[in-house]
Amino acid sequence: MSHPVIPIQKSITDRSPDMDIACRSVDAEEKSLLRRVIDRIADHCRARSLFILHYCTGCGAIELPPTITSRFDSERLGIQPMVTPRQADILLITGYLSVKTLKRVILTYEQMQGPKYVVGMGSCSINGGMYWHSYATVKRLQEYMPVDIYIAGCMPRPEAIQQGFLQLMAKIDRGEGTAWKDYYHNYDTYLGNQQALFGPDWHTPTDVLAEARHYGLLSDNSIGQHTDLLAKFASEYVTQPIPAAATRVVRRSAS
Amino acid sequence: MEHSIVHDDLNEVLRELPTLSVEATSPRRLKVRVRADTLPALLGLLKGRSGYLHLSAISCIDWPDTEEFELVYHLWSYEVKKLVSVHTLIPKKPGRFVSVYDIHTPAAFFERDIHEMFGVYFEGSPNLEPFILTEWYGPPPMLKSFSSRQYVEETFKWQEYSPEWLKELEAKGGGIVQ
Ligand code: SF4
Repeated sequence: MSHPVIPIQKSITDRSPDMDIACRSVDAEEKSLLRRVIDRIADHCRARSLFILHYCTGCGAIELPPTITSRFDSERLGIQPMVTPRQADILLITGYLSVKTLKRVILTYEQMQGPKYVVGMGSCSINGGMYWHSYATVKRLQEYMPVDIYIAGCMPRPEAIQQGFLQLMAKIDRGEGTAWKDYYHNYDTYLGNQQALFGPDWHTPTDVLAEARHYGLLSDNSIGQHTDLLAKFASEYVTQPIPAAATRVVRRSAS
Repeated sequence: MEHSIVHDDLNEVLRELPTLSVEATSPRRLKVRVRADTLPALLGLLKGRSGYLHLSAISCIDWPDTEEFELVYHLWSYEVKKLVSVHTLIPKKPGRFVSVYDIHTPAAFFERDIHEMFGVYFEGSPNLEPFILTEWYGPPPMLKSFSSRQYVEETFKWQEYSPEWLKELEAKGGGIVQ
């Protein structure tokens, strides 16, 4: 179903009663039966044709060549490496993430098109792993971007990675591979965590809020005190006005 | 130049400077302790007289008890074929030392690194801008006084972990040893 994308109002005065629809995602119940059947078929097909972005961090990169080449051959599952983020579905974080690398990972993640899936591989992406007391590596990947599944191990063997892939496929097939939507729903939280590391002027060239609006995934939590800073520091990348905090408070109390 | 002549030169050079202590830690390794003010002179002499052209690294040690930094200059001569490690101590306050960039250009890189990680200021070094730690607002992280663990506890959160099997164990009075 293509639902109307109604732009966020700039002031309270020109607020229309049906503007709310732009601020939440459409419930599954609201979708037509046909739409649900098509979604189901699409998910089923999608789960069988996945492309991993060929980007590696940390030591887990070593396990990828055997996983995707003739020895374990993940192409049997329909999973192949892909060289550019725009054409990839899966962002595989193959190990420890230094704060510096995280920046690049976020840039890459935002360039990928939805639906996209993040797989955290190795103990390091889960909880810092053996770099748990290093000042330079981040501990929990899911604070900075929504993660679909984690594969534990230091490092996980190709069998484990493929098992993880199978679980991810099953998840997508069931229509539950929707973690990427969370990035839009709770963008303010994710951005806040990123700003905590990179400073308040952190921004990417991607106008995530405009994308959220485009997908119809803008929610109340998408905007907040952290996204307000975008208007200040990233004005050249903000393509649509970000509503001011006061407007939102009034709107929430009115509804 | 004959090998033996160069070799003699090394000993001669080392004898020329009065405040040195030389120790052969292995047949091809010399450990030289030198006063901080003599270090540039020694490096210059080694380079000019014994072919010590290659400064392969400068390392820094933070000695918390004596409030001193130890700087170690690792030098290699392709003619003498001996590694000379020149050790010198500088006081932690004010933590300034002279750059040896004019003698060995690669020093610029090592000095920048040490400046970033230990906070030592090298006078005359061409560029001491932040290099690796681009998102770093804290103190130089390699100092002994910096507690990485404390920083991590303050900056990051830990994964919550309570699987079923652990709950079962905990119900029986067991659990993960902290
Ligand atoms: S989990 Fe282990 S193998 Fe993977 S990046 Fe961390 S230390 Fe390396």
